[in-house]
Amino acid sequence: MRVTRRRLLAGAPIVASAPLAAMALTDAYGSDTHMMDGHLMSAADMAGMHASMIGDAVPAPDGPDLILEPPAGHEPGPVRSYELVATEKDIEVAKGVFYPAWAYGLAGGPPTVPGPTIRVTEGQRMRVRLLNASSHPHTIHFHGIHPSNMDGVFEMVDPGATFTYEFPAAPAGLHLYHCHATPLKKHIAKGLYGALIIDPKTPRPPAQELVMVMNGYDTNGDGANEFYTVNGRAFYYARHPIRVSRSRTVRIYLVNVTEFDLINSFHLHGEFFRYYPTGTTDRFEYTDTVMLCQGQRGIVEIDFKNTGHFMFHAHVSEFTELGWMGFFEVAD
Amino acid sequence: MRWRLWALVPAILLVGVVSATVAAGDSLDGLVGNAPPPADEFDVRRVEFAPGTISIHITNPQREHLTLAQVTVDDAIVPFSIDGVRGARTLGRLESATVSVPFFWVEDDPYAIGLISSTGIVTTHDVPAAVATEQPSLHGAVGLAVIGILVGVVPIALGLAWLPSLRRASPRSLAAFMALTAGLLTFLMVEALAEALELQARLPGALNGTGLVVLGVASSYLGLTLVASRLSGSGSGLGGVGLATLVAIGIGVHNLGEGLAIGSSLALGELALGAFLIVGFMVHNVTEGLGIAAPVADGAARVSPGRLAGLALVAGAPAVLGAWIGGFLTNDLLAVLFFGMAAGAALQVVVEVGRYVARRAPGGLTSGPVVGGYLAGIVAMYATGLLTA
Repeated sequence: MRVTRRRLLAGAPIVASAPLAAMALTDAYGSDTHMMDGHLMSAADMAGMHASMIGDAVPAPDGPDLILEPPAGHEPGPVRSYELVATEKDIEVAKGVFYPAWAYGLAGGPPTVPGPTIRVTEGQRMRVRLLNASSHPHTIHFHGIHPSNMDGVFEMVDPGATFTYEFPAAPAGLHLYHCHATPLKKHIAKGLYGALIIDPKTPRPPAQELVMVMNGYDTNGDGANEFYTVNGRAFYYARHPIRVSRSRTVRIYLVNVTEFDLINSFHLHGEFFRYYPTGTTDRFEYTDTVMLCQGQRGIVEIDFKNTGHFMFHAHVSEFTELGWMGFFEVAD
Repeated sequence: MRWRLWALVPAILLVGVVSATVAAGDSLDGLVGNAPPPADEFDVRRVEFAPGTISIHITNPQREHLTLAQVTVDDAIVPFSIDGVRGARTLGRLESATVSVPFFWVEDDPYAIGLISSTGIVTTHDVPAAVATEQPSLHGAVGLAVIGILVGVVPIALGLAWLPSLRRASPRSLAAFMALTAGLLTFLMVEALAEALELQARLPGALNGTGLVVLGVASSYLGLTLVASRLSGSGSGLGGVGLATLVAIGIGVHNLGEGLAIGSSLALGELALGAFLIVGFMVHNVTEGLGIAAPVADGAARVSPGRLAGLALVAGAPAVLGAWIGGFLTNDLLAVLFFGMAAGAALQVVVEVGRYVARRAPGGLTSGPVVGGYLAGIVAMYATGLLTA
C-alpha cells in the first residue's frame, strides 16, 4: 500500500486516539478522595472543614491580640489620660491579604485596627491627646456627652499636629470613638475607630470582660467589604478560641463600626445572653441574636451552663463566611 | 572570517546595555514620576467541575509577581490548594497554576468564583451554570468522534454526490460553481479570522495574540502554497483533482477549527448540542462538499471512488481531531493559532481557485456567472450558517 499524503491525513485521527485511550485508562479525576496535607480525606470531610473550621486548620493572621482584654476599670484619680497616635500601617486583615490601614495606637505601642479601648469612670475627667503622625488630617469624635469644641468635627488635626480632647466622661455605658474627618466613609473604613467604656460610678458585678469591635475591610475600593472581622483579623478567634470559664459571667463590650453594610449582628451558639443596649440602663433583652447598625453598641452578659466549643458569629451568613466568626472554649 | 566576528559585536553590546539597565533598576523608575500599582488581577483560563471539587486554571497576566491569598465561592472564603499545596502562592510573570477547591456544587446553579490577591484585589469569574466537566474517557472520545464525523465527513461526502451532475454542466455553469467554491472559502476565511481575533483578545496581552494570528495565517498560507506547488508539479497551474485536494485541505483546516470550537464549548458546558444544531452544521457543510466536487468535475480525468472518499476524509476528518483537542485539552493559545491557520489556508485556496477560474472560465474572472457564483457561495454559507447560530 503506497503511503500518500492523503492516506496519512486520513489516518491522523486514528493515530491521535492512542494517547486519548491511554488517558481513559488512567483515572485522572472522578474519585471522591483528595490528598490534602498528605492525608487522604473524603470529600465529605473536606466540605465540612469549611463550615466548622477551628484551631490550626484555620487560615488566620497571626500575632498578639491587643484588643480583646479591656484596660482595667475604676482607676482612681480626677483625670484619666490617654495618648493616641494616628499612623498609616499595612495590616494583615485575612491570612495572606494586606490592607493599607489608618490606625490609632497608644503612644509607644503599635497602631491597631480597631484602635485601643479607652476606659474611664463616669464623672472622671477624660483627657485624650491625639498626635497625627500620618499624612492626612484626622480627628477623634467621641460618642458621648461633651462640649461642641471637643466633638472632633470642626477642629482638624493636621499632619504633625496634636490636639487634646478633655471633658468629664458621660454618660455611663459603652460607646465608641472614630475619626470624623472627611470623606467620612474613607476615614472610618480605613480603620480609625475604637471602643470607649465609661464605667458607672457603682462598679458592675465582676465578670470576665472582653471587648469585641465588629468591622469590615474594603480591600479593593469597590465600596463593599471583602472581609468581615471581630477585633480586626478574619477568622482569628476560630484559630485561637477564646478561653472562658462557666463559673463566672462573661461580659462582652460589643461595638459595631462596619462601614458599607447597613447592619451587622451577633449570634451565640448553645447559650442565651442578656443584652443591654448601649449599656446605659439595667433593662436587658434575653436572646441569642442581636442586630446592630453602624455606631450601635451594647453589653452582652453570658452565663454559660455547658462546657465545650461554642461558635459565635454574625447572623448575616455572608459576613460569617468572610471572616466574622469565632469560638468560645468554655471550661469549668 | 573577521566580518563574522564583527557581527557578534552588536549582540555583545546589547547584553552589556541590558545588564547595566537592570543593575540601575530603581534609579531609573523615578525619572518620569510614579507608576500606578499593578492591576493584580488573575486571568481565569478555565473552571472545571468534578464530583466534590471545583478546579480553577489561572494565569498571572502581568509583568509583576502576583500572590493568590484567598479564594471565595459565592462570597464565602473556602479552603483551597494550588497545584496540590495548601496556602498562598506567588505566581511569576505569565505563570499558570491550578486551584483546587473541595466543594459540593449544585448542578446547574450559577457560581461566582473570587480570587483574592495579597493586596486585596478580587478577580471574579462568573459561571452561569455548573456542569460536570467531561473527563477524558473512551466513551467521551467516541462521542466526539461521532459528532465530528456527522458534522464533518458525512455532509462533505453528500456534497461530493453532486459530482455526476456537475460533470454534465456547461463550462459557464462549471465556472459559476468554481466561483461558488471561492465565495464559500472567502466566507470561511473571514469567519475564521474573526474567531481568531476574538479569541486572542481573551489571552493575556503579554502573549501578543495579534502576533499569533499573523503567525497562524502566514504559516498556513505559505504551507499550502508549498503543497500547491508540489501538487501542480509541471508548473502549469493547479487544476482538477490537484486543485480539489487543495480545496479539501483548506476546508479540512477550517473544520479542525470548527471541531475545536464545538469540542471546547461542550467541555465547558456552554453548548447544548441538540439534534437541531448537528443538522444545522451538516447542512452548512454540505456546500463545502459541493466546493470540492466542482474542480473535480472540471478536470478531464476520471476519479476513483476511493480517491473521492479520500478527499471527503481530508476535508471532514479534521473535525474529529478538532473535537478531541477542544474537548479534552482546552488551550487558548492553540485555539488562536488554529483559527489563524484556518484563515490562512482558506485564503490560499481562494487565491488558487481564483487563478484557475481566471484561466478556465469563458469570460474570465469578471464574467456574470463567476461573479454570481461567488456571491451565491457567500449567500449559501450565510443562510445555512443561520441554522447553527
